[in-house]
Amino acid sequence: MPGYSPVNHKMLQVPVGPGQEVYSKRGAMLAYTGAVRFAPTTTAGGGIGGAIRTTMAGESTPLMHVTGQGSVMLGHHGLHVEVVDLQGDTLYVEAERLLVYDASLQSGTMFLGEQGGLSGVIRGQMTGQGLFTTTLTGHGSCALLSHGGVVQLPVQPGRAIYVDPQAYVAHRGQIQNKLHTALGLRDLIGRGSGEGFQLELTGQGVVYVQASERKF
Amino acid sequence: MVRVLSVAQFRMNGSRMLAVDLRGETIRALNGSMVAYEGQMQFKRQGMTGGEGLMGAVRRRVAGESVTLMEITGQGTVYLAHEATEVNLVPLQGDTLLVESESLLALDGQLRTGVQFTGLRGMTTGQGLATTKVEGHGTVAILSDGPAIALEVVQGQPLSVDPQAYVAHRGQLQQDFVTDVNWRTMLGQGSGESFQLRFSGHGLVYIQPAERGEGLGAEV
Repeated sequence: MPGYSPVNHKMLQVPVGPGQEVYSKRGAMLAYTGAVRFAPTTTAGGGIGGAIRTTMAGESTPLMHVTGQGSVMLGHHGLHVEVVDLQGDTLYVEAERLLVYDASLQSGTMFLGEQGGLSGVIRGQMTGQGLFTTTLTGHGSCALLSHGGVVQLPVQPGRAIYVDPQAYVAHRGQIQNKLHTALGLRDLIGRGSGEGFQLELTGQGVVYVQASERKF
Repeated sequence: MVRVLSVAQFRMNGSRMLAVDLRGETIRALNGSMVAYEGQMQFKRQGMTGGEGLMGAVRRRVAGESVTLMEITGQGTVYLAHEATEVNLVPLQGDTLLVESESLLALDGQLRTGVQFTGLRGMTTGQGLATTKVEGHGTVAILSDGPAIALEVVQGQPLSVDPQAYVAHRGQLQQDFVTDVNWRTMLGQGSGESFQLRFSGHGLVYIQPAERGEGLGAEV
């Protein structure tokens, strides 16, 4: 069964068949061929517990379950689409930046406080990311949305990467992240450089960064 | 003995993201345009004068120029981008680049900036009365909505461009303003191409494949 194939930078063709079902952002379907069904879902394969967690987390991006036999074209708001293939590792991504993912991937929600405790909570508030982030684990594909496309920056031990929270899209691998502040007197009086907060990513893995500071 | 000046290395990371390798040099960049960095970096907003002296600050204030730059110093690599617009690198070897202030993403710390009054053009394009003048040796990164193209202007063949698509120009160029306003324009039946910038002389003009927002030119 072929995988996801980009039509262009902003449209993705996803094959659907028996054993190859996907979850997609609700309303992102642009066209389809074949006998494809779209069912709204709140559990997204995570079970009731997952649904409760998701609701509590305020990760309220609605999803739909795409089944049947055929091919679906997906796109959202003219944003760039980037396909990420997972081989047993975990991707951390904000729910609203997820266009589509294989149903074979396990999705979950991670409380930011689990990573960094109180500062994780503060980080979520400061960066407007919310307190929870979505995790995808297993073997399969998913597609990320970004404004202007993403670049991958490798994170290695001893080589930390600092990212503007608004330009951060996702990361994978064994990565710790915490909020890094470089606030000075100038920021307090409104004459800062606009770079007061960054996410500091350390460990081993890859971080996806978009070429824009715009959230959507 | 030749003194080697270390110059910050500008390189593209895709068409919309600029990567600059720094080894202690200073560059200037649009405030808030950093998307990621590695290594040690300091970000400092430029002071009131922005390296242009008191007169420069006064001129900027008079011209209503409000583009703020920050200084970036450090060891490592800094990644810059702005609103997913395309980035174009322009190397300068002692010549002068005139660029729309809002199209400036980053420039080498050794380049000097100043204000150039543009007169009527600024009023029609809604850009204010001035553009930024960059001169010296080093690289300038300019932003364009869609990939920019450079058009060559030679003696005896003036080039006219839409003020809203104009991004920058360099070389020995005179610019003047061409209007084609007639009774149809007044009735709101114009073709939308009533104002043009005409460049004559010898040099390069950079334009973008998009027309910037509001202004007199957009209305008539």
